[in-house]
Amino acid sequence: MTYSIASILPIVLLPFFAFAVNSFIVKRFTTLSVILSCSAIFGSFLFAARIFGDFVFGKYNSDYYIHKTFTWFDISGGGLTFKVPMGIYIDNMAAIMLLMVTGVAFLIHLFSTFYMHDDKRYGRFFVYLSLFTSAMLGLVLSDNLLSVFIFWEIMGFCSYSLIGFYYEKEGAGNASIKAFMTTRVGDVFFLLGIVALWTTVGSVTFVDIYKAIATGGLKDSILIFGIGVPVATLAAFSIFMGTVGKSAQFPLQVWLPDAMFGPTPCSALIHAATMVAAGVYLSLRMFPLMELGGLLPIIAYVGGITALGAATIALVQTDIKAVLAFSTISQLGYMVLGIGVGAYNPAFMHLITHAVFKACLFLAAGSVIHSLHDHHTHTHVQEMPRMGGLRKKLPYTFLAMLFCTLAIAGVPLFSGFVSKDRILGDALVMASSSKLYWAPAVMGFIGAFLTPFYMFRMIFLTFFGEPRDKDLYEHAHHEHIQFNSNVPLLILSVFTFGVWFSGSLEGQGIVKVFPESKYEWFQVLVEKPELNKFIGRTSTAISEPESKEFIEHSHYDPNHGMSEEEAHHVHHLHHLGAIASIIIAFSGIFLAYLMYVAFKVNPGWWTNAFSGWTKALKNKYYFDNFYIDGLIKKLMLPFNNFLSWFDMGVYDRIAIDGWAKVNQWLYSVSRWFDNLIIDSVLVDGSGVSVRFFNIIMRTIQNGRIQFYFIVLIVVLVSYLLSFKPVI
Amino acid sequence: MSLISYISISLILFICGLVVILARKNIIGMLLGVELILNASALNFVTFTKYFNSNIDGHIFSLFIILVAAAEAAVGLAIVIRFFQVRESIHIDSATQLQS
Repeated sequence: MTYSIASILPIVLLPFFAFAVNSFIVKRFTTLSVILSCSAIFGSFLFAARIFGDFVFGKYNSDYYIHKTFTWFDISGGGLTFKVPMGIYIDNMAAIMLLMVTGVAFLIHLFSTFYMHDDKRYGRFFVYLSLFTSAMLGLVLSDNLLSVFIFWEIMGFCSYSLIGFYYEKEGAGNASIKAFMTTRVGDVFFLLGIVALWTTVGSVTFVDIYKAIATGGLKDSILIFGIGVPVATLAAFSIFMGTVGKSAQFPLQVWLPDAMFGPTPCSALIHAATMVAAGVYLSLRMFPLMELGGLLPIIAYVGGITALGAATIALVQTDIKAVLAFSTISQLGYMVLGIGVGAYNPAFMHLITHAVFKACLFLAAGSVIHSLHDHHTHTHVQEMPRMGGLRKKLPYTFLAMLFCTLAIAGVPLFSGFVSKDRILGDALVMASSSKLYWAPAVMGFIGAFLTPFYMFRMIFLTFFGEPRDKDLYEHAHHEHIQFNSNVPLLILSVFTFGVWFSGSLEGQGIVKVFPESKYEWFQVLVEKPELNKFIGRTSTAISEPESKEFIEHSHYDPNHGMSEEEAHHVHHLHHLGAIASIIIAFSGIFLAYLMYVAFKVNPGWWTNAFSGWTKALKNKYYFDNFYIDGLIKKLMLPFNNFLSWFDMGVYDRIAIDGWAKVNQWLYSVSRWFDNLIIDSVLVDGSGVSVRFFNIIMRTIQNGRIQFYFIVLIVVLVSYLLSFKPVI
Repeated sequence: MSLISYISISLILFICGLVVILARKNIIGMLLGVELILNASALNFVTFTKYFNSNIDGHIFSLFIILVAAAEAAVGLAIVIRFFQVRESIHIDSATQLQS
């Protein structure tokens, strides 16, 4: 199969085209623009599916890639090189990402036509969705950090606009600003990382960075405040801070819960499935750099703290979307933990499985919220204490949500189990080899116990038991199969089964459901970038169609190149981890059952007994208070006031006003000079001289023909008289 | 008749023309003065041909002058008519500007 520009770029350009057209026609032709958005993303889905099919089923090799570059601009000269290349880089990871993003985005577009239909800004929502999707796809296709950064920022902007979509709602505007400013902290670091890499490597394409790492080009130290820091560490840290901001990791996780002010489909797309995953995707791309920079333990700790902390906060939330928001942060923590423990493939697998089931969960929550309409306040209800017993009213939503909850809870046979268990297994392996990794592994396991608990708490409170608000329940619509309301949920819930991602029960290839290793396509095709392979790699020009028939299949090696003895040890630990997570998952579900369905354990007793903890959890560990009251009001505001005083009192009074005085004096001197020399002598003088000549010229040039004639004759006669007479 | 008397008549004609051109304010009158000057020069040609040359070049040239004078009068009158259309006057002092 050939890959020309015409078969790759439409993936990005179709949604972008839809955005560009829609932003002009959306006010008058809302229906048309919605149809355009949906069909554009479906078109990109088809193109992405073609690439995915070819990469995964056609080539079936982890080394297959497409790399096309062109020079964006080149202003080198005088011994300086300043050349900015751009390009497309597709490997198996990007191909899988493309299919996931386009597929999930298409289903969310479809669901939005149902959810947002009665909104007065129905069309505008799709304008943002299209722009967002094209930016995300552009990020996946990018071959360098600079274009990743550009698309990253476009997504940040879309996120900002969509969080503040209901701007008349109180708090939405603040939430959007908070999300934008918090991610900005990470983005600044990310930009610094790009600059650090650019100055040392001379290029920011992934392949060039891999080459530089392989040839040892990033070992040098640079001085920061007098301390020598290896470039790799600095760059890796900066880029990881970008991930921390975008993927809502500790300590910059505060924006994601507030982002739930946006419409629910946008929460599904942006704050659960794709944009927050972009941060993890970037970290995976830069994994060799993080490894070289020695940053992996820090990453593991950040991931572990995030996974556990967010899971604990989710225990006490009563808003259905807030529970999902904290579970998103927690699951992102697992991905980052996976990166930290070197579980490259499991982290990426968790990214994909999480994107599918979390998108489905959010859409299901949207379906629940949409069906519950409070007729007294004319708002939709999100509070779980007012729900209950919705199983009968919303059977299809319940089914989809149940599947996804089973997946996120880590129940065997579901996708979440496969990926999360592999991350935890690898964490256990790392913990057995180094004491440093004990804490993240333990935090991961405790989080894995809390996850099924709070997720099933949500399911039980929403769908089981007696309706707690009878009036609300009576008015809820009974659900029917409808192509744009619950069919997307059901499609997504189908993909929560583990068999789509792994042929074995627990993802490690030990307890096999299918004997042939071809079903382990995910593990075969996505592997850590092997740096030595990149040294000789070249890219093709963007205009040339690329055709590479790569037939040789990779074979799945369950030992991952380890010796038999090591592999045995690792397998043993993986077994242990798998059994532990199964026990943990079921005990979490059972505890939730006891508390919220059987009422054997009273949750109120726990909240009373640990009232201090409950208060802390309800306040999200006081992070918002710490940032706003502590960091911003106590530290930044006085500093700001000092700067303002310095600016007004010192700089303004002395420098600006003093300079004004100097200028006034200079002004009076130059005014004197101007008046006397320039104006009187030069300007008026030239006027006088002109007037003098004017008098002469005016008497000659009086326009009277007969006067001219007299002059003519006088001249002629005097000319004649100056000759001797002829006669 | 001597040469001097011919030249004198020619000179008188010339000066008359000159005076007409300089003194009259009427443009058509000025054109008549131009005609007088041309005729004075034509008379000079004929006179000098008669007294110094035996061929007929001067006579032919005077015929040319009459022809040119006629053409010039036609053009001049056309200009005067156009001028009158614009200015509604044929007074020479109203012709002080190149554009209306």
